Amino acid sequence: MILTATHLLALTPLVLVCVTAIVVMLGIAWRRHHTAITIVTVVGLNLALIALIGVWRMAPLATPMLAIDGLAIFAAVLILVAALACATLGHAYLEHYRGPREEFYLLLLCATAGAMVLAASTHLATLFFGLELLSMPLYGMLAYTYHERRSLESGIKYLVLSAAATAILLFGMALLYADTGHLDFAGLATGLVADAGAWSLAGAALMLLGLSFKLSIVPFHQWTPDVYEGGPSPASTFLASASKVAVFVVLLRLVMAVPAFQNALLHSVLAVLAILTMLVGNLLALTQSNLKRLLGYSSIAHFGYLLTALVVSDGLAVEATGVYLVVYMLTTLGAFGVVTLISSPYRGEDAAALHHYRGLFWRRPYLTAVLTVTMLSLAGIPFTAGFIGKFYIIALGVEAERWWLVGGVVVGSAIGLYYYLRVMVTLYLAEAGMQKRDAPEDWGVRAGGVVVLGVALLIILLGIYPTPMIDWVRVMGGAMLGPTG
Amino acid sequence: MEIAFYLSGLIAVLATLGVITNTNPVHALLYLIVSLISVALVFFALGAPFAGALEVIVYAGAIMVLFVFVVMMLNLGDQGAAQERAWLKPRIWLGPSLLAAVLLVTLIATLWSGDAGRMVDGEILTAKAVGTLLFGPWLMVVELGAMLLLAALVTASHVGRTIPPDKPRINAESGARKEVS
Repeated sequence: MILTATHLLALTPLVLVCVTAIVVMLGIAWRRHHTAITIVTVVGLNLALIALIGVWRMAPLATPMLAIDGLAIFAAVLILVAALACATLGHAYLEHYRGPREEFYLLLLCATAGAMVLAASTHLATLFFGLELLSMPLYGMLAYTYHERRSLESGIKYLVLSAAATAILLFGMALLYADTGHLDFAGLATGLVADAGAWSLAGAALMLLGLSFKLSIVPFHQWTPDVYEGGPSPASTFLASASKVAVFVVLLRLVMAVPAFQNALLHSVLAVLAILTMLVGNLLALTQSNLKRLLGYSSIAHFGYLLTALVVSDGLAVEATGVYLVVYMLTTLGAFGVVTLISSPYRGEDAAALHHYRGLFWRRPYLTAVLTVTMLSLAGIPFTAGFIGKFYIIALGVEAERWWLVGGVVVGSAIGLYYYLRVMVTLYLAEAGMQKRDAPEDWGVRAGGVVVLGVALLIILLGIYPTPMIDWVRVMGGAMLGPTG
Repeated sequence: MEIAFYLSGLIAVLATLGVITNTNPVHALLYLIVSLISVALVFFALGAPFAGALEVIVYAGAIMVLFVFVVMMLNLGDQGAAQERAWLKPRIWLGPSLLAAVLLVTLIATLWSGDAGRMVDGEILTAKAVGTLLFGPWLMVVELGAMLLLAALVTASHVGRTIPPDKPRINAESGARKEVS
C-alpha cells in the first residue's frame, strides 16, 4: 500500500509531533532559551491534540503499517496529555539546572512520537520502530542529570536491560515470520488460523516476554524501582505513564488480533503472571521508604491488575482496559507530579525519601491534598477514579469466572491499602524540625502546579461522575473493534 | 545453492560463537568480521545481492575501520609492536582464517558452477526493488528510523559531554547545597 494524501492527513498528529521535535532541534542550534523551547513544545503537543479531533472524523483508517482507529486515537490522547504534563513539570524541574536544559524537550517529543506509533502499529516493523523510538530518548531522559550517579545508573540500567528485552522481542518476531511469512498483524492472523504450531507459539511467547519487560510484569520487574528512583522525576513520570500506556495498548492489539496469542497455554501463563505481578508488586512495596520506589512497585502491581483484562480479552475487556488506563495515567501523573514539584527546581538528587514528606501538610496543604487524592485513587477508594478502574477489573474477572484473578486483585488491594495509608499518615505527622525540601512558594500558580491540581480535580470528578469517561472509552473501543477486531 | 546457504549459515553461527567466547576484544572482532561476511553470503544465496553488498560495505567495512581505530588508540609505541607480534600467533588467526577459507571455497564453487543469477527461492531483489519498497509503502518506517537516529544522536551527545555542568545552585533559603538524606 502506497502512502497517499489521505493517509498523510490521518497521520497529522504524529507528523506534528515530529515537526515540533525538528523545530525544537533547530531552535536549540540557533539560540538556547529554556522557556521559549518549552512553549514551542507545549504548542506543538496541543496542536497534535487538536489535530486528533479532525482525525477522529476519518477514523477508522488503515494507513500502511499503522491503524488510525479508536484505540490508537484513545492512546494518542493519553500519551499527548502525559507528554504535556511532563513538559510543564520538566520546565519547573529544570529551571535552575546549570547544564543544557533544552535537549530534554527534544527527547520528550521523540519519545512521544514513538509512543504514538507504537500504540497505532499493526505491523511488526512499526511495532519495533515505535518501541525503539520510545525507549531510545528515554535512556537520555533518565540519564539527563548524568553527573548524578543515580541518574546515570538508571539510564544505563534501562539501556542494557531494555536492549536485551528488545533482542528477545526481535527473536520472537523472527520465529513468527519464519512460521507464517507475514509481518503485519492481519497476515499473522490469517497465517495462524489453524492450531498454532510450536514455532509460532514460541514466537508469541518470546514477544510477550519482550513486551512484558517494558510493562515490568513480575519475573522481569527488577529494573523498575531502581530506574524510577534514579531518573529525574519528569523522566520517571513519562516512563511510568505514557510509555506503559503505549506498550499495553500494543500488547492488547496483538493479543486481540493474532490467534497465536489466544492459545490456552499462553492464557494460563498470562493468568499466573498476572497474579504473581499483583502480589509481588504489592508485597515488595510494603517495605519501601522512598516514594519513587514505592510508586514503582505500585505501578508493577497495577499492571498485574490490568493483565486480567488481557487474560479475559473478550466482552468488557477493551472498555475495562481503557477505563483503567485513563485512571492509572491520571493517578501516576498526579503522584509523580507532586514528587517533581517537591524536588523542583533541580538541586541535586530528588527529594523522594518518605521523611522529606513528613509534615508536608502543615507547610503545603493543597499539594498534600493532591498527593492524598492520588494515593486514595491508587488504593482504589470510592469517590476517586481509582475505584472505578478497580471496579471494572473485578467485574471483568467475576463475569469471566476467573476466581483466582479476582482473589489476587482483592488481596493485592488489601495489601496496597497499607502502604498507601502509610504515605498519607507521613504527610500529616507533625514536623520534626529538620530542614526539609519543599516546593517553591508560588508552586500553585506555575504551570506544573496547575497541571497537578487539574489532575487531582479530574481524579475526584471522574470518581464521582465517571459517565463521560466511560462513554468516551466505549465509543473509542467500539470503533476499534469494528474494522480490525 | 542450498549448500552454499547452509554452509554460510553454519559459519555465521560458529564465528558468532567465537565472538562471544573470546576474551580479547580484538580477537572477537576478527570472528565478528567473518560472521558478518558469512551473513552477507547468506543474503546473496537468498537472492538479495543489494542487502549482501550493504552488509559487506557497511558492517564489515565499518567494523574493520573501528577495529583499526581500536588498535591505533589503545596500543602505541614498542609495547604495541610486541602486542601485535603476540597477536600474529597461528593459534589466534587460524580459526577465523579457516572459517573465511571455507567461505571463499563456497563462493568460488558457486561462481564456478556458472549462472550467477541462481539462488534458493523467489526473485532477485535488486537495488531498485529495495528502493521502491523503502520509499513507497515503507516510507513511514524510513522516517521513523530517521527520528530514532536523531534521538540516539541527541542522547549520545548530551550524556557524552565531557564538561560537567556546574554544581547545583546553593539553596537560597537554607544555605544548604544538598539535602542530607
